[in-house]
Amino acid sequence: MKVFTVICKTELKLFLRDFFSFFFALVFPVLMLLLFGGIYGNAPVYEGTDTGMMDISVPAYAVMVTGVTGLMSLPLTLSGYREKKIYKRFDATPAGKKSIISAQIFISFLMTLAGIAILTAAGILLYQIQIKGSFLSVLTGLLFSIAAMFSMGFLFTAIGWDLKSTSLLCYLCYFIMLFLSGATMPDFMFPDTIKKISSFLPMTYAVDLMQGVFAGDNLSLHGKELSILGAVAVICTAIGAALYRRRDWTK
Amino acid sequence: MTQELVQVERLNLTYKKLHALQDISFSVKSGEIVAVIGQNGSGKTSAMECIEGLRKPDSGLIRVFGKDPWLCRREIYKEMGVQLQESEYPLKIRTEELCRLFASFYDRPADWNLLLTQMGLNEKRKHPVHKLSGGERQRLSIILSLMGRPKLLVLDELTTGLDPEVRQNMWLSFENIRKSGVAVLMVSHYLDEVEALADKILFLEKGKQQFFGTQGEFREYVKRRLPRHEWEEPVSLEKLYFMIAPKTTGLTMEGIL
Repeated sequence: MKVFTVICKTELKLFLRDFFSFFFALVFPVLMLLLFGGIYGNAPVYEGTDTGMMDISVPAYAVMVTGVTGLMSLPLTLSGYREKKIYKRFDATPAGKKSIISAQIFISFLMTLAGIAILTAAGILLYQIQIKGSFLSVLTGLLFSIAAMFSMGFLFTAIGWDLKSTSLLCYLCYFIMLFLSGATMPDFMFPDTIKKISSFLPMTYAVDLMQGVFAGDNLSLHGKELSILGAVAVICTAIGAALYRRRDWTK
Repeated sequence: MTQELVQVERLNLTYKKLHALQDISFSVKSGEIVAVIGQNGSGKTSAMECIEGLRKPDSGLIRVFGKDPWLCRREIYKEMGVQLQESEYPLKIRTEELCRLFASFYDRPADWNLLLTQMGLNEKRKHPVHKLSGGERQRLSIILSLMGRPKLLVLDELTTGLDPEVRQNMWLSFENIRKSGVAVLMVSHYLDEVEALADKILFLEKGKQQFFGTQGEFREYVKRRLPRHEWEEPVSLEKLYFMIAPKTTGLTMEGIL
């Protein structure tokens, strides 16, 4: 445990020193909130509802944070370490690469929670957003979203043969999902064709789930979203793990 | 009493169709320095990686501290330090952070602050590792290999990238390390280094073991291979090696001019 703590402390420092990870996980979502909050405020999304624009934007941006860490920061770190044979060096110690990878996943998870906590705190302080859902349902929604995004990132690192190819897969997937899932722009603004495309994207279900649990929906209303995100997490992790087992780490 | 720390018998390794190692057998005892020599691509690093448990051999027996390194890697590394031929470290990590991280892997780590001073890296402790020069990084990797107070050191190109003065100091250091009972298995392209340090030599050529024995036996082996040659004693190990190493042609100006 002592070893894992030291590795985590080191990985946390490295995460915070990496401008891309730090900015896009912890700062950028708040800037988005300020930008769109400045334009729309927390005015009701349509007449007759007390759900404001920021009430649905904060959970959507929370999914954006899971995408930054799960589809960009973590996979690019894993792929970079592998390409530079950093894992191989750690394998030549009593710690082994598994403890380093575990620490990297743990720190990415922590930073995801930190990014969402900062975003939510900003939403409450600046726009008085409402979180009607229970802590447990919000946490469950969040864990399913994180599991799906992280497992997809993990799969991309297993498929990518080097850092460049992994980056390409991650960037493509992240930006397509970011703009078409409702994570940046509410999906009720989308034309039908885009809605059809977005129904194939896992992030769409994460956004729907998070917006639902923030609005106070019971989790039983989101069985479809939970099933899809759970299935994505299991399938991507299983395929990724199988591919990793076949990989030659010495190259 | 000297104890056999590394035992290798009939080690074979293939990469697709390339037979990288063929029936390699040797051993390393405590307090002994064994140098592995041979041209690029002769299988030196592959052999080291099998012993380090980083590569699974196709057949043969490898025992490090009596254990199979492929199956008991974690246990073996508690008493074995390695320096890989090429390895990088996490981007933006600082020298002292890397030392602290490696020290945390061992129950009784070496005094890395002292090692940093002795290796002339004390002033670089706050520097990011990726900004250190090649020689400084090499010295740091040697410190990391010593972090667990190892009984066995496996060093792949110990002094590559070091300036002559540091190389000489390193030889003295490893002489002292040997005296303390630590065994060293080292890959080297510098035959003067091998001559100064090695008790035994393992000579590989295209994956095949050509020779394993003491320096004196190596000299006899070369002379046996070249019976008609007239030797002017004393002859350096480097000169002997060049007599039997496969010849390569250098650049000719025809292709350039």
